[in-house]
Amino acid sequence: MIEPTYPGAVAPERTCTFASLGVQLRALEWGDPRAMPIVLAHGMWDHAHSFSVLGPLLAARFRVIALDARGHGDSTWASAYTWPTDVLDIVNVMRALGEPVHLVGHSKGGGQVTDAACIAPELVRKVVNIDGFGPPSLPTGDDPVPHMVAFLDARRRIAGRSTWRPYASLDDLVERRRAQNPRLTREWLRYFLFFGALESPDGWRWKHDPQMGHGFGPWRPEWIGPSYAALHAPMLAVVGSEHDTWGPLPEPLLSERLSHVKRLERRVVAGAGHFVHIEKPRETAALICEFLES
Amino acid sequence: MRIAHGRVTLELHEVTHRDGPALLLLHALYESSASWGEAPAWPGRVYALDFSGHGRSDWLVGGGYYPEMLVADADATLAHIGGAALAGAGIGAYVATLLAGARSALVPAALLLPGAGLAGGGAQPDFNQPRQPLSPPPRQPGCDPMVHVLNRDARPPDYVEPFARAAKRLLLVEDGTARPPWWEAARGVTRAEVAPAELSVALARLAAA
Repeated sequence: MIEPTYPGAVAPERTCTFASLGVQLRALEWGDPRAMPIVLAHGMWDHAHSFSVLGPLLAARFRVIALDARGHGDSTWASAYTWPTDVLDIVNVMRALGEPVHLVGHSKGGGQVTDAACIAPELVRKVVNIDGFGPPSLPTGDDPVPHMVAFLDARRRIAGRSTWRPYASLDDLVERRRAQNPRLTREWLRYFLFFGALESPDGWRWKHDPQMGHGFGPWRPEWIGPSYAALHAPMLAVVGSEHDTWGPLPEPLLSERLSHVKRLERRVVAGAGHFVHIEKPRETAALICEFLES
Repeated sequence: MRIAHGRVTLELHEVTHRDGPALLLLHALYESSASWGEAPAWPGRVYALDFSGHGRSDWLVGGGYYPEMLVADADATLAHIGGAALAGAGIGAYVATLLAGARSALVPAALLLPGAGLAGGGAQPDFNQPRQPLSPPPRQPGCDPMVHVLNRDARPPDYVEPFARAAKRLLLVEDGTARPPWWEAARGVTRAEVAPAELSVALARLAAA
């Protein structure tokens, strides 16, 4: 199949690979390699092409490096997936770059770049978090026991699974993802999912690791706000104005969490849902450049 | 024997073979099945597992250790050997508590012993402490240095309590070492008993259903 196109999406100028903890992380790059780096981190089930429109807009002034998280896109698969290892991967990328960088993350990537900046303040200039402020409540409910049982049953079930079942066409993947994120257009998803799936003689399969995803344990959403107190870098918190799957949080809850950030700027992008940088890339790029260059 | 769990192959030692109820030993952090020493007195089969990253089990590619993954290691073992009483030390005690609650139909009783990794990172993350995940401690012989993160996971007591309540029977060995909040929560449930510090005596109590 021929690579699809999308208005504003620009093929990466370079790709590169970072080693972290035995995993190879693939990244897409736009912009002058001598310019100040921005590292971009995508959300759950996404990959670096999530930034194929925003990245090139930022590349006029920065060296833009969009990562595939471990187990996603063209990065290698790991034995296990945890929040701290994703965060360490981002820190290891920053260490490899050898100079302080700006961090931009969306959704899960937004939370993780924020954590990376808390852990390695000496490597970070500023942080842009696009609707990555955690779920409103525990997605698993109050009793952890049935959730653990489901996790253990799933571990037994996937023990031998090495690939996803095939979908007949790329359009089937598009419809699957649209059921989850109805604000994303088919045109975008056809472009985006082309890079997140593999075509083989029996159909299309997701590239991301089928053994990923546990999302449980003793973790509490109430811990998110207090964790921001360790953030030294200034943070730009961006959300869309529209209600959407996975966000934004109700305003009182979002304000409470963000009240722990010492140096905070907030912006709301009108007419965008959770995928602010995909629905309104030019507005998002303008906000980011203004914040990073102020 | 070797046991498949996801992309990891685990080493399970069959310590004694006699007919009777099974006992599965779960070692402490940085240790292995060898740490139990000679075969303990038990009226049935005794198995000792090497958790992933420890002993002769595989290391996780890319790190990513977390206690629930060790619970899944032990559960993959139960899938292989059937039901078993559990005896866990340190982080193995925490794993045994969670597994005894989640698989109560397979686990008639669990013995919890002090040991390395017992406390984890406390009842909740300490937001005032600067986090330093990049410097693992001096390497412990025979285990993946990345398992160190298992010493820092948060263990809220109200997370453990529902597992302790769902467990058929818990015996806790208390030897005067500091007991973390999750341990106190497990000890507080109706079916929890404090067992003698001598392992053979505690196991005899565990075997007497």
